[in-house]
Amino acid sequence: MLHLNGLGKRFGEQWILRDLNMQVDEGECVALLGTSGCGKSTALRLIAGLDRQDEGSIELDGEPLDSIPAERRRIAMVFQSYALFPHLSVRENLNLGLKIRGVSPAQRQQRIETVLDTVRLREMADRRPQQLSGGQRQRVALARALLRDPRVYLLDEPMSNLDAQLRDDLRPELRQLILQGTQPVLYVTHDQQEAMALANRIAVLKDGRIEQIGTPEELYKTPASQFVASFIGRPQINLLPVDKQLTIGIRPEDVGFDPEGMPCRLISREWQGASQLLLLDSPRGALRMLCAGDLSLSEPLHVSWLTSAEHRFDAGSGHRLAE
Amino acid sequence: MKRRLALWICLLLVWSLLPMLWQLISSFSTAESLVNGSIPFLQRWTLVHYKELLASDPPFWRYLLNSAIVSALTTVITLALAIPAAYGLARVPLQLRRVLRWITVAAALFPYVLLFLALLELARRFSLGNSLIALAMPYSGLAMPLALLLLTSVFESLPRELEDAARLEGLGLWQRLRWVLVPLLAPATASTAILVFLFAWNEYPIALTWLSRDELLTLPVAMARIAGSSIYSIPYGAYAAATVLGSIPLLLLVLICQRQIVSGLTNGAIKG
Repeated sequence: MLHLNGLGKRFGEQWILRDLNMQVDEGECVALLGTSGCGKSTALRLIAGLDRQDEGSIELDGEPLDSIPAERRRIAMVFQSYALFPHLSVRENLNLGLKIRGVSPAQRQQRIETVLDTVRLREMADRRPQQLSGGQRQRVALARALLRDPRVYLLDEPMSNLDAQLRDDLRPELRQLILQGTQPVLYVTHDQQEAMALANRIAVLKDGRIEQIGTPEELYKTPASQFVASFIGRPQINLLPVDKQLTIGIRPEDVGFDPEGMPCRLISREWQGASQLLLLDSPRGALRMLCAGDLSLSEPLHVSWLTSAEHRFDAGSGHRLAE
Repeated sequence: MKRRLALWICLLLVWSLLPMLWQLISSFSTAESLVNGSIPFLQRWTLVHYKELLASDPPFWRYLLNSAIVSALTTVITLALAIPAAYGLARVPLQLRRVLRWITVAAALFPYVLLFLALLELARRFSLGNSLIALAMPYSGLAMPLALLLLTSVFESLPRELEDAARLEGLGLWQRLRWVLVPLLAPATASTAILVFLFAWNEYPIALTWLSRDELLTLPVAMARIAGSSIYSIPYGAYAAATVLGSIPLLLLVLICQRQIVSGLTNGAIKG
């Protein structure tokens, strides 16, 4: 179990991470979700021991990690750039760490062969990283993390350098290789879809603080702020100002056609096959709406939604208002 | 455009290679033919300059050996100190690094000839004269700033995440240097090594003052002695032969390290 207690890091006077409290259970995957520069990668570097925190502490299975150097923390990290050693072949990349950690040659060989089969790279074993595709490099990085036999996995945007198709292919693989183990996993990403698909819980970070932490469902159904609401769920939630105090959020998929509803003008339409996204001009402002793909539209359109589907936010602070 | 470029390159080659060719031809020419243009082409050739050089006491190859010893030792000491130092320098905070870099640049630009009296004093005080190993000390010190500058910028250009990954793999500081950083730096290290070697190979004033025994002289000092051996004539032929012999080891060195030098020169141009 990984415990972060009030973790904070600053550069000069500027805090890039503050008050990070969270717990990652065995076998659990928590995603740190946020825009670039929100401090999510910094959090991983602190846990790995690559940087030193300015406040707070890190505990793993009840034992503090703070005085253990990165070399001996037994934490595996997969970097966005993969960070494979360019002067070594795939096999040598995997071998180096094992050798340094004193694993016997016979055992090394056996473990490397096994992991090469797991990530399906046996034929590529003697190539250099430059000769591999992005997806293959990524799998070498995963293999290296697996061989580390770590107590915690840290994944720093492991798929953001890959194209969308490859990402979809690799997601089940990632889940099978790493997320099914017993170790806690921290997954940093800026892609809400990836976070929703892979994580048991998601922590949304903004300006170095946790905005909300919860299961994907909690974040989707009861976002704690406008920021979380617009970050989670695609297409993006509609935020409609009511007055100076109140903004309501309504998800495009909760908007429905209703002969009694508001009259709207169709501005544009994105057909996505099974569904289509409509951009409407309503009396309350621009409105995104999701409806079935085979629906034929005839203006004027009238739409409405259930009051129970509305999310109510304080217009000033952006916080969710009590029901 | 391409043809004009080719023309310029040819001109440049002529400009830089012609003096060497001249030396080469002079070294194989008899002394008379060098001052008397009327000697027929086929009768001007001789090997006598080389024979004399190798038969003199001490023989000329002794100077080559001395220079090789001093230069190799200088290179080894400089790199052994400059690699860890450059690593450290690339890791200190940016502001401090800037200050340190300016100091290093200043040291690299300092005309070292101004130091030679002070160095001579040191050599006397600590009896360091007439020792090739001792001579490598000031050489390493003088070559250090340049080596440091070159290597620091390469260390800075290495992606930080490579070293981070190595750390998480369990590699300690020296293991990271040995297994990850130094192999990655090999091209830059090779080109730095050649520059340091060249400096030590060509150095004159310190060698002149620190060495006095004939059999310990390095190449530049020995060559100066040949040039000044007679007041009445200049021994062009012997001088040219010495130049040719003196540049052969360097040519060999460059040929051996050719690949590393080229990739070191273009370092940073291509993403790893």
